Amino acid sequence: MRKTGILIFCLTCIVLGYFTFTLYKKAFTSERDLPAASDGQEVKYRLVLITQELETPFWDKAGIAAREQARKNGASLEVWGSYGKNQEEFLKKLEIAIQSKVDGIIVQGLDTKEFKDLAKIKAAFYGIPIITVANDVPKSESLRKTYVGSDQYLAGQLIAEQLLDDMGHEGKVILMGDKHKEYYQQQRLDGIHEVLKDYPNIQTVYAETTDVREEIIAATQNMLNQNPDTDSFVAIKANIAGAMIHEIGRRSLVEPYYIYSFDDGPDSISLLTQGKLDGIIEQSPEKMGSLSAELILKWLKDEEVPLKSDGYLTDIRILKALEKK
Amino acid sequence: MNKIHKKIWTLTTVILLIMAAIWITLTYYNQKTQNQYNDILQRYLRMNEVTRTSQQMIADLNNYFITPIPENLDKLNTSKEKMIKVRSEVSYLRNSENDFALTNYMNLIDSLVETTDRSLLFFKEKETEDSAKEFSEATRISMYISEMTLTLVDSELNTYERFYRGIIEQSEEIKKLGIWLMLMITCLLMFLTYGFSLSITKPVQKLTKAANDLSRGRFHLPIKVDSNDEIAFLAQTFDRMRVNINNLISEIQHKAQLEHELQESKLLLKESQLLNLQSQINPHFLFNTLNTLSKKAYLEGSLETSDLLVSVAGLLRYNLKRLDRPVTLGEEVMVLQQYMDIQKARFTDRLHLKMSIDETCLNVDIPGLTLQPIIENAVNYAVEPREDGGKIWFRIQDGNDCVIIEVEDDGPGIEELKIKQILQGQFIQKDGNSTGIGFTNVVRRLRLFYGSDDVMSIESSAAGTKVVMKIPKDRRGAA
Repeated sequence: MRKTGILIFCLTCIVLGYFTFTLYKKAFTSERDLPAASDGQEVKYRLVLITQELETPFWDKAGIAAREQARKNGASLEVWGSYGKNQEEFLKKLEIAIQSKVDGIIVQGLDTKEFKDLAKIKAAFYGIPIITVANDVPKSESLRKTYVGSDQYLAGQLIAEQLLDDMGHEGKVILMGDKHKEYYQQQRLDGIHEVLKDYPNIQTVYAETTDVREEIIAATQNMLNQNPDTDSFVAIKANIAGAMIHEIGRRSLVEPYYIYSFDDGPDSISLLTQGKLDGIIEQSPEKMGSLSAELILKWLKDEEVPLKSDGYLTDIRILKALEKK
Repeated sequence: MNKIHKKIWTLTTVILLIMAAIWITLTYYNQKTQNQYNDILQRYLRMNEVTRTSQQMIADLNNYFITPIPENLDKLNTSKEKMIKVRSEVSYLRNSENDFALTNYMNLIDSLVETTDRSLLFFKEKETEDSAKEFSEATRISMYISEMTLTLVDSELNTYERFYRGIIEQSEEIKKLGIWLMLMITCLLMFLTYGFSLSITKPVQKLTKAANDLSRGRFHLPIKVDSNDEIAFLAQTFDRMRVNINNLISEIQHKAQLEHELQESKLLLKESQLLNLQSQINPHFLFNTLNTLSKKAYLEGSLETSDLLVSVAGLLRYNLKRLDRPVTLGEEVMVLQQYMDIQKARFTDRLHLKMSIDETCLNVDIPGLTLQPIIENAVNYAVEPREDGGKIWFRIQDGNDCVIIEVEDDGPGIEELKIKQILQGQFIQKDGNSTGIGFTNVVRRLRLFYGSDDVMSIESSAAGTKVVMKIPKDRRGAA
């Protein structure tokens, strides 16, 4: 009886001891370190990449490449920006970047007065170099150090040539662009006109709209009403393409129309794979990101001064729907 | 010796130590957690302070522009200094996750201060438009700071989420640990207390049992307590008491026995006296008659008869006188010789008595009438029934610390059973021709007289009987 009692007691003690010990270990050795305080070494250069279209495939690629490049060179780079071409937010970010006294700003150019004021006056006041990327703003207006991106003029030419290939040498082309004709759009338009002017049988109609979806639809309807015999559409600004095609699709089949656009819109690639776009201009966002980061660092380190004011052009090529399919 | 006092102290100390250890651990842990909480709160509070101070600064600047008096300027300067101080404090919040943002944050604060300064400068130089522009910029920056604070707090939450959850989990674990710990300690303490109380109560129980035994008169059970405290000491003392009582009791018993023996001896004496008295009426008369007869025989010239009659008379006198006090062996031997003279006259040639006596031994004390009944016995059994008579040897020898008296005859011997009865002191049926004071009486009186059982031995065979008495030279025991 006594022996059983002692045995039971010992067992209880062992079990309790075991649980207590494991809990003790769990409770007092759980790793809950605060994140390491800054490793001390100040990153030499703080760069910011600011875009108007965060989280689009195009800008994601560019951002990742730029960040990678900066990391390789021992600088830190953050991607800021606005969503869906929100200019107000975009400009605010730019101003914050300037007021935060970052070492360099890589920015998607915006051809507005506010942007130019910020770039020209504020950034210059704080001595912060600005490189435009993907979309350029002329140096004289923005005091940018350089431009890294596609040759938009060439892009326009490529589109026009592709159009000629597909459609033949006669027809009616509707060119849809932003009301606020930004510099890069103008360049694209110039490129298209440059090619098409040699073909008198091709008639071009230029239509203007805004970013608002309803207006794009209205503009498209208007165009289709006024030009029922149209053969082709070119969305000068990639963002327009989605709403435009949607509206065309409501009227008739999309396939008979030759529709072209660029790859820097949020839905460009998906429209192409669906076969709704016949071709897009594919740019090199990775190259743009890495090259811009590299150039701004070189400039900061005085390795390459001055930068080419004409800009550093990256590769473009036409991507046809068939290829994608 | 381990005192109960010490035991209690030890137990209490152990409990106290366990409690203290747990308390210290928990307190230490709590303190640690508290510090962590404080750190976290401090972080948030600092960030919030930046926002508040920047807004305060803008408000002060605005106030100054509206009413440009020195007090407002002082206020503005105070908040500006505070802003700078807060900025330096913010730098402590830096960690690997928010490095970039924090630098921006601090630079924004710098910009705010600078812009404010510029605005102030323009204001002083009456360039109102520029001043207003800078002011609006400062306002914007202040807004940015607020936003950035929120962003930082947000990222802070993200960064520390795992950590916060860890703290919550840990406090859960601690709660559980507390329960387990309490269970374990309860169990342990119960065991300790059980053992401890047992170590006190068990000896007490044993002691109680022993006391019970003693009170019931069982004095032979030893009291043994296997403990190492005062109880054991108590038990030892108790045991000693028990032994002492035991000894006392046995002593009393011994004394009572002695008393009993004394009583018995007195009774025996009474008996022999009574027996003697029975034959006293005739002996006195006989004694006088015998003396007359002796004188008559002497006068008639019969010398031998006269002597014989004197012997008988002497014997008779001795018998009458020396019953209740010790005599010397010498006196006994003399009486014996008178008795034997008579017997010789009776049996003439049939009785051959051979005596060898060590004269040095004759001063030994001996109860009266001890030898005569034995010789008489020998005569009665070894000589009287036989026509050609018998031999009797009587010897007194010195046996170092005792005197050895031997009475030997060549009679037909005594039965084994009878010898046993005699030596055990049982009364046996008397034959008619005995003098009355029997063999058994002698044995018992000798034993009582010397206080020893080993006084007489009887060897008997068909060729004779030998009675050996060992009389100690130094008499001891009761009279």
